[in-house]
Amino acid sequence: MPSVVSSVASRTVAGQRPPDGARPASGAAIRTRGLAKSYRDNWTLRVKVGLSPLDLDVERGEIFGLLGPNGAGKTTTLKLLTGLLKPTQGRAWLMDVPAEDVRSRCALGFLPEQPYFYDYLNGVEYLEMVARLSGLAAAEATPQARHWLGRVGLSGRERVLLRKYSKGMLQRLGLAAALVHSPELLILDEPMSGLDPFGRRDVRDLILEQRERGVTVLFSSHILPDVEALCDRVAILLGGRLERVATVGELVSARGGSVEIRCAGAAVVELPHAFATTLRRSERPGETLFTLSDASLLEPVLAWMVESRLSVRAVIPQRGALEEVFLAAAEASANAASAEGVAAAGDTRRSA
Amino acid sequence: MSALVVARNTYREAIRDRVLLGIVIAGFAVLALTQVLRPLALGEGLRLTIDLGLSSIAFLGLLVVLLVGAGLVSKEIDRRTIYNLLSRPLPRWVYLVGKWAGLSTALWVVAAALGFALWALVALLGHPGYAGSIAEAVYLEGLELTLVTAVAVFFSSLSTPVLSALYTAGVFLGGQWCDDLRMIAGHFPGAFARVLEGAADVMPNLTLFNMRTLASSGATTSALHLALATLYALLYCGCALALGAAALESRDFK
Repeated sequence: MPSVVSSVASRTVAGQRPPDGARPASGAAIRTRGLAKSYRDNWTLRVKVGLSPLDLDVERGEIFGLLGPNGAGKTTTLKLLTGLLKPTQGRAWLMDVPAEDVRSRCALGFLPEQPYFYDYLNGVEYLEMVARLSGLAAAEATPQARHWLGRVGLSGRERVLLRKYSKGMLQRLGLAAALVHSPELLILDEPMSGLDPFGRRDVRDLILEQRERGVTVLFSSHILPDVEALCDRVAILLGGRLERVATVGELVSARGGSVEIRCAGAAVVELPHAFATTLRRSERPGETLFTLSDASLLEPVLAWMVESRLSVRAVIPQRGALEEVFLAAAEASANAASAEGVAAAGDTRRSA
Repeated sequence: MSALVVARNTYREAIRDRVLLGIVIAGFAVLALTQVLRPLALGEGLRLTIDLGLSSIAFLGLLVVLLVGAGLVSKEIDRRTIYNLLSRPLPRWVYLVGKWAGLSTALWVVAAALGFALWALVALLGHPGYAGSIAEAVYLEGLELTLVTAVAVFFSSLSTPVLSALYTAGVFLGGQWCDDLRMIAGHFPGAFARVLEGAADVMPNLTLFNMRTLASSGATTSALHLALATLYALLYCGCALALGAAALESRDFK
């Protein structure tokens, strides 16, 4: 299991950024310092922020998830790392090589969101080409192309033109293209998009297999159960701003804290007044289920149950789902934004 | 090495494109048409065959450049296929050179095939000695198409396929009338004349690559002409591709 807790990722603090050109200490597979992107509309000249200054470290060997709604800045971040976008400010390093240097992409496998392909090529031709572009010799490229085509479940379709591939097959091919040169770092933008449940399972297995090989994986996804199942750590991006970085465990346990207590038979006791707001009772066939919303009260509640001669079968701590955490963060961010808007409008009226 | 990989892919795309097949068929059709028109040429049938045959190579090659070359980069950006290439250790200028080299190779193959067909036809008509002049003329047309392809790739890295095609066609026509532009400039006063002269200086001098009249009379050109034309084409391609690479380097792929 890779070390995941030691890594640090924090929001940018103005004035604490290293100067441009300064190379941060090595170790991280991906490192960004003040990485930002804004776009200017050529007609209105208005500037739109795609990504606010971002400081982020993804440690070698970990699976790191980028979470956020549409327009949160996930794809912008990934494109800045892969050189498809030029940053407005700040810098990024991949495996300690500056992202603006094409050599940083030697060890990189990238799957863009909804990948597009040359429809006049077949699967093997396409994979051979991208393998060669990633530095594989011709003699290696062909066997690797065939291997990865089979590995993503497309064997037997080597000579089929890509225009005849389904959406799911193209997504699998994109994944094979990202992996064909055995990269040390994988960046996947919505890798599960367009896949059926079997495809999603295969991609999950493939990502976990890569982690076993020591590959670092950074991926963005809307599918929260996949993120929860795969990631060592996640970052939540909202409105182009990094809201939070933590391990999945930290995120869900901070949100959680409730405990489920199962007792045999129907409990004929009255809930004490002290637990009236924190303890809920529900009857199920053959058992009574108590849900304690505040885990810190577990000890007195259990003491009361023993006193009341309830037969406790199981005490199960409940973890909050990542979805709840994500939605809460999004809601908090939206509330903060609207509060700022109201305050700004008030200031404008006062000054008028 | 990466440029060769991109070039091979572009060549494959061009060869598998129906446009190219259509152009080759049209080229053969023009050659057949010259034989229909021969009786009307008042004894100049051979000259007509060679002149029309060589012109068709230049014109059909230009059509390929406008239909395929003008969208060579911009279509890749629109279709997002460029993401899969530029997210690899592939410098953007190498990508651009690869695209140009791939399409140029396809054009050379088409020009060579149609040139060979023209020579075969002329030989069948009893004039096998025209091989040298036809080969030289086809070589110069190949150089011209290579140069125009570089211009198309330059515009394609800046603009949409339709606009790139229009700009490229404009440069092609300007290049054909370079000397006329300079002559016209002499008839205008001051600033306007300088603008026309400047335009003539920037446009590629495509008359350098036109030896159709010579070839149709069976004459050959000098080795110096061929060498200078080659050097000129390579230099112009280098400039156009360098400008295209600079434009592509600063682009964001949203």
